[in-house]
Amino acid sequence: MNLELGVWLAALALLPGAVLLACLFGASARRLYVVAASCAAALACVSALPLVLVHRAPAAWPLPPLSMVLVPFAALLWLLTVVVTPSGRRTEAGFARTAAACMLDLGAFLTDSPVLLLAIWAAGGALLLASHPGRPYARARRVAAAYLTASTVLLAAGVALAGPGAGPAPWGAGLILAAVLARNGIFPFHAWIPETFERGRIGPVARFAAPQLGAYVALVLALPRAGAGELRVAALLALLTAVYGSFLALHQSDARRACGYLFVSQSALVMAGLDLRARDALVGSLILWLCSGLALAALARAVLALEARRGRLRLDVRHGGYERMPQLAVCFLVMCLAIADFPGTLGFVGAEVLVRATVDAFPLLGLLAVAAVAMAGLAALRMYFSLFCGRKDSGAHLAMRRREGLGFAVAALALVGFGLAPGGLVRALSRGGDALLRRPAVGLAAAPLTRDRPAAAPRSKRCPPGRPG
Amino acid sequence: MTSLPSLRFCVLAALAGPALLLALLAPAGFLGRPWSERWTGRLTRAALSASFAALLLAALLYGAGPRKPVVLSLGQWFSAAGGFSFDLLIDGWSLAFASLAVAICGVVSSFSFRYLHREPGFHRYFVLLVSFVVGLLLVAFAGSIEVLFAGWEILGLSSALLVAFFHERPAPVDNGLRVFAFYRAGDACMLAAAVLLHHWAGSGSLSLLFSGAGAGLSRLGPEHVAAIGVLLIAAAAAKSALLPFSTWLPRAMEGPTPSSAVYYGALSIHAGCFLLFRAAPLIDACATTRVLAAAAGASTAAYAALVARAQTDVKSRLCFSSLTQVGVIVVEIALGWRLLAFAHMTGNACLRLLQFLAAPNALHDLHQLENELGARVAAAHEPPKAAGAAVYLWALERGFLDGLIDRRLVAPAARLAGRLEALDRRLCREPWVSGGAGEP
Repeated sequence: MNLELGVWLAALALLPGAVLLACLFGASARRLYVVAASCAAALACVSALPLVLVHRAPAAWPLPPLSMVLVPFAALLWLLTVVVTPSGRRTEAGFARTAAACMLDLGAFLTDSPVLLLAIWAAGGALLLASHPGRPYARARRVAAAYLTASTVLLAAGVALAGPGAGPAPWGAGLILAAVLARNGIFPFHAWIPETFERGRIGPVARFAAPQLGAYVALVLALPRAGAGELRVAALLALLTAVYGSFLALHQSDARRACGYLFVSQSALVMAGLDLRARDALVGSLILWLCSGLALAALARAVLALEARRGRLRLDVRHGGYERMPQLAVCFLVMCLAIADFPGTLGFVGAEVLVRATVDAFPLLGLLAVAAVAMAGLAALRMYFSLFCGRKDSGAHLAMRRREGLGFAVAALALVGFGLAPGGLVRALSRGGDALLRRPAVGLAAAPLTRDRPAAAPRSKRCPPGRPG
Repeated sequence: MTSLPSLRFCVLAALAGPALLLALLAPAGFLGRPWSERWTGRLTRAALSASFAALLLAALLYGAGPRKPVVLSLGQWFSAAGGFSFDLLIDGWSLAFASLAVAICGVVSSFSFRYLHREPGFHRYFVLLVSFVVGLLLVAFAGSIEVLFAGWEILGLSSALLVAFFHERPAPVDNGLRVFAFYRAGDACMLAAAVLLHHWAGSGSLSLLFSGAGAGLSRLGPEHVAAIGVLLIAAAAAKSALLPFSTWLPRAMEGPTPSSAVYYGALSIHAGCFLLFRAAPLIDACATTRVLAAAAGASTAAYAALVARAQTDVKSRLCFSSLTQVGVIVVEIALGWRLLAFAHMTGNACLRLLQFLAAPNALHDLHQLENELGARVAAAHEPPKAAGAAVYLWALERGFLDGLIDRRLVAPAARLAGRLEALDRRLCREPWVSGGAGEP
């Protein structure tokens, strides 16, 4: 390992570690906020260094291209979490948990070792359960524990059967895939996400339910090992779940539960692309992963910020308040539009690429992705109208704090900025997708990984799925 | 001889004007420091005037040349999945429609400065109006189906947000959501058409596919043409409020009168016609799509003509009158009378714009007249007496379409969603999940 990379890795470990140390030494929540915000901002800058410097000295940064994108993404999410958490919800334990979760994400995105990923998987689940202490959260804890234990056991069995040196084991890849489906809330394992959103703590659940670790494990462990048939079944399940999630999000009268179903829908769309084993689908999926990860995290945090001011939010009543907090309303609208895959946001780019690739793989069933995108957009806009419009706001102190406004504005600007100029991000993710597809398939069950058709190749007939056109 | 670079420059300038204006207005509002009304007016006037002048110049340059369609490629927006080409198609139709759109928006913006003076949402209104202009120009000049889709979505969102402009009241917000739901259905059809076009033809280029020469269409089989044609007709029907999507139109009247004029009297309601106009070679190539388009147009014209006669408020009456003509225009397109359809579209847009903008004054004058006469002035359009009360009630209630959609579509969907959700909740109460607690 060279010096630059060593220093960079140390910084990645030390910056969240500093917050954990401060917690250990009993710093107050106020001081912890300052430490955590500074460390998160520093981490966001430091983590993006390889993206900037790799062109100058490629040898100094021997990192997978995907990790170079995902590591800053995890840092950005941590920064957003710290900055926009309402003052009343800041606790020492909360800061420690978010720092630990960030460390786990960073660790996961920098490794492809099945054993390490299994350990991070289990630790992440334990962290979620630890963030729901006591009787008020007993139900959410039990539901999450049941599904997470099942997914961890499935992953452990899958890693044991399909890991290095274990020999060919068709069951191993299937078990890993099943674990990912359970963690990401894909049918028939979807019910726990809306339930924990409704009855649990929205911040930790939103951080956990985003497709981060599940999608990454699908990429580095399931994709090279699973057979084409298994992946197609998973992709179809994910497509059905995407429609199901957005359909039920439309019906919800509780903002948290609606968020939960939106998470299910977006996470399923990401999984559908990852499981198609084609470059375009993979790139679309990765873009949608980043977009939905950021948009949904900000959306859930915005719901939390509103709940801190208004109590539990129902969607069948109008809350109003646009004139009190126009900036938050606009940011919320931008997040909704990113989920709706509206032109000018990153969601449009991801959905456009993903839907094309899905239709290439499943010409008729692929249109389910179109239906899912349409309904998710409608559900998101319904949330916006309900939470910010419909009556004159009578609340006394509803204005956002400056730091909250700044945090949401950065998230919204990132979604719009990368949506208007997606070239660099698409190239970086394409490199990441290519690198993944170049990896040798593991085990006998795996079919060869394929690249998509050339960019402008016209086709008059339907292509066989998973093959170049 | 056409100077191609000059033509391209003019079209780019026409697009850049409103886009730059949007880039100036939107961030200022977001940062909580909107431009003053005076400056908003000046900037809007300058940008729309410059855009209109550039379009007129482009039309002159185009008319002086060989009058062949020109594709202006602005490069790839992004490169994955076959790429997203930012292509613009410059021809007589696109220049005429864009000029009409910018001229009408210019007139409406001038009207709006006074109409919305000191309105709390003044700045928001102009941001949405300018984004509408950008969306409409993208639709007019779209050279690929992706650009068309992008413009199409911008039109829909700005329309829904303007319907909900008076957002402190529940009714505009409910209606805005309802309008967005219909638009969303149309957008889904458009997106499906776009991806299927890419899948089957390997290209989304409108100039290649719909140039009329038929070379592009030969890549598609008859069933592909029919499927894409039906999807495009559905997308156009949702945007132009053709049957069975007509119920959103009266709901959209909740917005400010100038926005109703520009959207539902003049331009947005004709966007579907323009889409069918662009896709006319594809529709002509398949008997099913021709018959479907003609049936949708004719039934909408008959429905709207009847309903318009029974409406009790001037905006609803005007919007249904406009819809009657839209139905006729769609029939003309289906019959292949493109020039007549375009002339009809232009005339209807200008007439309805004038009627919508004059409506508040006309009402004011009418009330004054009635006050001075001391009696009600007879309504101009009484329902035909021979038709009977049932027909009148049917027309007054707009064919009970709203209730029909609620009963047959929304309520069953809500019931299904409720059952599925109950199933999800039950799944989480199972003993193996809830640790045997089984709490309610």
